[in-house]
Amino acid sequence: MTMSRLGTARPTEVVDRSSKVRFRWNGKRFSGFEGDTIASALAAAGEHVFSRSMKYHRPRGILTADYWDPNLMVQVGDDPNVRAGHRLLEAGMDVRAQNVWPSLHRDIKALNGLVGRFLTAGFYYKTFMRPAWLWPTYERVLATFAPGGRIDPDTPHRYHDKRYTHPDVVVAGAGPAGIEAALAASAAGARVLLVEHEHAVGGHLRYSSSASARAALAELRAALDASDVEVLTDSTVTGRYEDNWLAIVQRSHPIAVERLIKARAKMLVVAPGLIERPYVFAGNDRPGVITSGAARRLINLWGVRPGERAVVFAANSAGDAAAADLDRVGVEVAAVIDGRDHRRVSAAQGSPKAVEAVLAGGSRIEADLLVVAAGWTAPTSLLNMAGDRPVYDPAAARFFASDPPGNVLVAGGLAGDGSLDELRAHAAATGRLAAQRAAAVAHRLQARTARARPAEGAEPAWAPDERTPLDRDPHPELYRSDTHGMVDFSEDVGSKDLVAAAREGYDSVELAKRYTTATMGPSQGKLETVNTVAAIAEARGETIAEVGTTVWRPPFAPITLGALAGRVFEPVRVSSIQPWHEANGVTTILAGQWVRPDHYGDPAAEVRNVRTNVGLIDVTPLGKLDLRGPDIPKLLNLLYTNKWSKLAVGKVRYGMMCAEDGVVLDDGVTGRLGPDHYLMTTTSSGAGAIWEWVENWLQTERPDWKVHVTPVTTAYVSINVAGPKARELVGRVSEGVDVSPEAFAYMEVRTATVAGVDGCFMWRIGFTGELSFEIHAPAGHGLHVWEALMAAGKDLGVGPFGLEAQRIMRLEKGHFIVGQDTDGLTLGPSTGLSPLIKLDKDDFAGKPELAWATERRLPVIVAIQPDDAGVVPAEASQIVRGETNEILGRITSSRLSPTLGRSICLGQVEPELAAGGTKLTVLLTSGERISATVMDHHAHFDPAGERLRG
Amino acid sequence: MAESPAFESPVVKRYKAATGALTLSDASAATKWLVRGPEAGAVADRLGASFGSSCAAEGGALVLGSRPGEWIVVGVPGAVAETVAGIDGPEQSDFVTALDWTHGRALFRVTGADAPRMLEKVCSLDWSDAMTPDGAVTSASVAKVTCDIARNDVDAKPSYLIFCDRSFGQYLFDALIDAGDEFGLSVAPADP
Repeated sequence: MTMSRLGTARPTEVVDRSSKVRFRWNGKRFSGFEGDTIASALAAAGEHVFSRSMKYHRPRGILTADYWDPNLMVQVGDDPNVRAGHRLLEAGMDVRAQNVWPSLHRDIKALNGLVGRFLTAGFYYKTFMRPAWLWPTYERVLATFAPGGRIDPDTPHRYHDKRYTHPDVVVAGAGPAGIEAALAASAAGARVLLVEHEHAVGGHLRYSSSASARAALAELRAALDASDVEVLTDSTVTGRYEDNWLAIVQRSHPIAVERLIKARAKMLVVAPGLIERPYVFAGNDRPGVITSGAARRLINLWGVRPGERAVVFAANSAGDAAAADLDRVGVEVAAVIDGRDHRRVSAAQGSPKAVEAVLAGGSRIEADLLVVAAGWTAPTSLLNMAGDRPVYDPAAARFFASDPPGNVLVAGGLAGDGSLDELRAHAAATGRLAAQRAAAVAHRLQARTARARPAEGAEPAWAPDERTPLDRDPHPELYRSDTHGMVDFSEDVGSKDLVAAAREGYDSVELAKRYTTATMGPSQGKLETVNTVAAIAEARGETIAEVGTTVWRPPFAPITLGALAGRVFEPVRVSSIQPWHEANGVTTILAGQWVRPDHYGDPAAEVRNVRTNVGLIDVTPLGKLDLRGPDIPKLLNLLYTNKWSKLAVGKVRYGMMCAEDGVVLDDGVTGRLGPDHYLMTTTSSGAGAIWEWVENWLQTERPDWKVHVTPVTTAYVSINVAGPKARELVGRVSEGVDVSPEAFAYMEVRTATVAGVDGCFMWRIGFTGELSFEIHAPAGHGLHVWEALMAAGKDLGVGPFGLEAQRIMRLEKGHFIVGQDTDGLTLGPSTGLSPLIKLDKDDFAGKPELAWATERRLPVIVAIQPDDAGVVPAEASQIVRGETNEILGRITSSRLSPTLGRSICLGQVEPELAAGGTKLTVLLTSGERISATVMDHHAHFDPAGERLRG
Repeated sequence: MAESPAFESPVVKRYKAATGALTLSDASAATKWLVRGPEAGAVADRLGASFGSSCAAEGGALVLGSRPGEWIVVGVPGAVAETVAGIDGPEQSDFVTALDWTHGRALFRVTGADAPRMLEKVCSLDWSDAMTPDGAVTSASVAKVTCDIARNDVDAKPSYLIFCDRSFGQYLFDALIDAGDEFGLSVAPADP
């Protein structure tokens, strides 16, 4: 096989011979032209081996010269498994053969071929099952034989984009039928997206030598340019899901390496054309054995002469056209073996650069190229995905659509055969039908969508399919000759393997596929499915129709993980004070989506400052729900376990919420701002869920209650001012509120002007155990309020404190955190807040379960102090019985307290261990056991709450 | 009593302001109120915008029918105040509430012929004229943030108001800039 660039450009050529492109192939310098694929450039340079086969490492050359070519998988730079038959050449590309050692031409793994007869289907399953303990070793060794390229984990992430679109009609495939369907649909008023797998529209017309084909292509392209059809080339409709939700991969885009388009199409026209399938005979995978399409593409698209002397096996007009093209460019056509006359190629033999065709009957013809045109695979994948079960027509030797849903239509070779004019006419009718049906869908959508323009008139009737069906050309059923050969070139599965699998009982096509891995490689069955089915049918003595095909599932073509991931949207939330935090040395922590101040350098110092002076913490993420309406007390009584009917205006109350199963859901305080106006706070992490929980109760269970709930979490910046000097500081910046303890007591709320900002809420609560004022200021003035507090408190020693300091102080105070000290099984009574569970209320969420739970012996949250004050058990450390591993509880929170100078914990323990003074054994992560003591109170610090109420 | 300080936008990064065929501007300072009441009745008649649509109130505020029985009123302070004045309260026969949402919601405006194509990159809705005409109001995920969106064309060019929770403001503004980059988006001066 001696390939070379033709001296004269072909009229259909897509390469620009004036623009040379230099690249490297296996370390050597090569050049091609702009418009070349990697494969065409290498072929033009005389290369004939491009890869080694997966299992036997047999040398492989060009087979189909397109996207589906299984022999043209290469590594380009850091990019493995690049399809050299499709990827366009770029200057500076570093192209290498994959999975060969030490080189492509001298690959030592080709020794596998010598033991090939032992590497039959199921070899791994049978051989490496026993002994089971050796599997890790087997796995390590087998991994070195894994096919494919190399992935460099340090390769920088590239920009993968995403787009949503809602066209009326998507046409999959821009051959003549697809273009015609798109034009007709567009002319009928539809918004059309035309998707073409190749780099240019036109299908087989692109590489046809006939003047009439060229004229038709020019006409179609001109019409397309003048139309409103959106055309995507180098793109694939890779999946069809419910209601014509389509996944389209766009591989060429100016700003992204790939773009995943999620299209919701009203109608889908499937027009992918036909894929030429290989013929199975001994040596059919040798370099030099190519499909007729490959020969014609090499000649007419890239000006490459594929050989010097060819034998053509032609069972259809594509084979005839290939023979004519070869002759036209000076390739000696030694023989045309006409498959329509029952003549067969039996084997391909010869030296690496020569192909000797052995015909059935034994005669031999020397050549360097064997061109095969044995039939077509109908790529029915999108129809399968739409629920259709294509049926096999033995007279035409291919599958056809059966009964696709009404919003999926078929055009082109998938629908039948005919002259170019007949195919175009059928496709145009298909496009018009698609547009008519899309209009009906559009009308329905407009009528049912509140925001849409009102639909005019009655919904159009669902247009009946009155297209004249295309004829089907007869074609000989040519799958396997009288010898065995390769069926799946990607996976190195031969017809002999499939016959053996059928004999072993894997005679269903789905079983045989999985057992042999036929059709499971990068070609995704496009070349090998029908030959696989034919081999199994032959082994079973049945027809192809009886065996049926595998179910084609997405993706139509392999898709990169990058395309699937698309753009990574990771929303983050910040409070209005974030710029100040960043300017003042904050270390942040991501809590849910919130970027929060964790500390400003020394959490322990922050604690000491709060305990001694005064500190500010930004607690904006604290969930806040604005409640309005006369039925709020009813709602609060329903949601919380305690009673709310008598909460006075200006008062604040703590409450715990439980789910219907009695498990602690959330906790927080709610204040009454006015007669029918309350502000509810939730945990930061529970803000969204509790809003939904409240709305769920109101909308589904109590729609008659007059309550409106509005999430206002970030409408207000929330600042907790904590410490013995908090009152002094807050008093300096507030107007309209008396902050004295007599006028503004613990658990009360006031409306105030703070730092000149009206409409602030201020309440006397806190999580730190210190005298605290929590200020909620309108967020658009939040930074101003914070800065005013910092400025006003300079002489008081005011400083910021972060989440870590707050967590230490709340632990010192013994406040539990829902989700940290409780879990998905923690029932309300376990918290130690049983007095807040008012079972004498009429009803509330979780009441029956809580009534039951109060009778049970439940784990209890207790305060714990390790006896060695310097040891801080890791959170989740187990509490065990003595030297045994019997689990009696766990540490849920632990810190070293700067205030007490010792380690402190909260934990859940069995009820018999909950009494103060009980000795516990804590199993550390190191395996060491330490002793600890249960405390009398949750609070390690100020158990009487004198500082808090001060 | 001192006058309230200036409004601080959730968009704190500084961008070189420019004008172009596709622009993004920060309108977070606009006054926004949320009104809730029966889907049909006096308040619905007064506000005039049904669910999914918008209209201009007499004083110049824009009223968006954001959900069944829920309206967003947006505009300059005086116009919004005029629209919502006395709309709620015990004297009303229906249960109606109104609250100032100005500080809770960031608001951005995207304007230009390519605005629908830009939005296609961050939101799964159908932006065609038939499905989202001028005046349409909807809610959707934009770059994974829940937003209220109103089409409010400017000088016959597609223009969209996008409301989101204030805390997502900076993130969403940057996500919109990224989405508009391929269409030559420029950041216009803040919308008054």
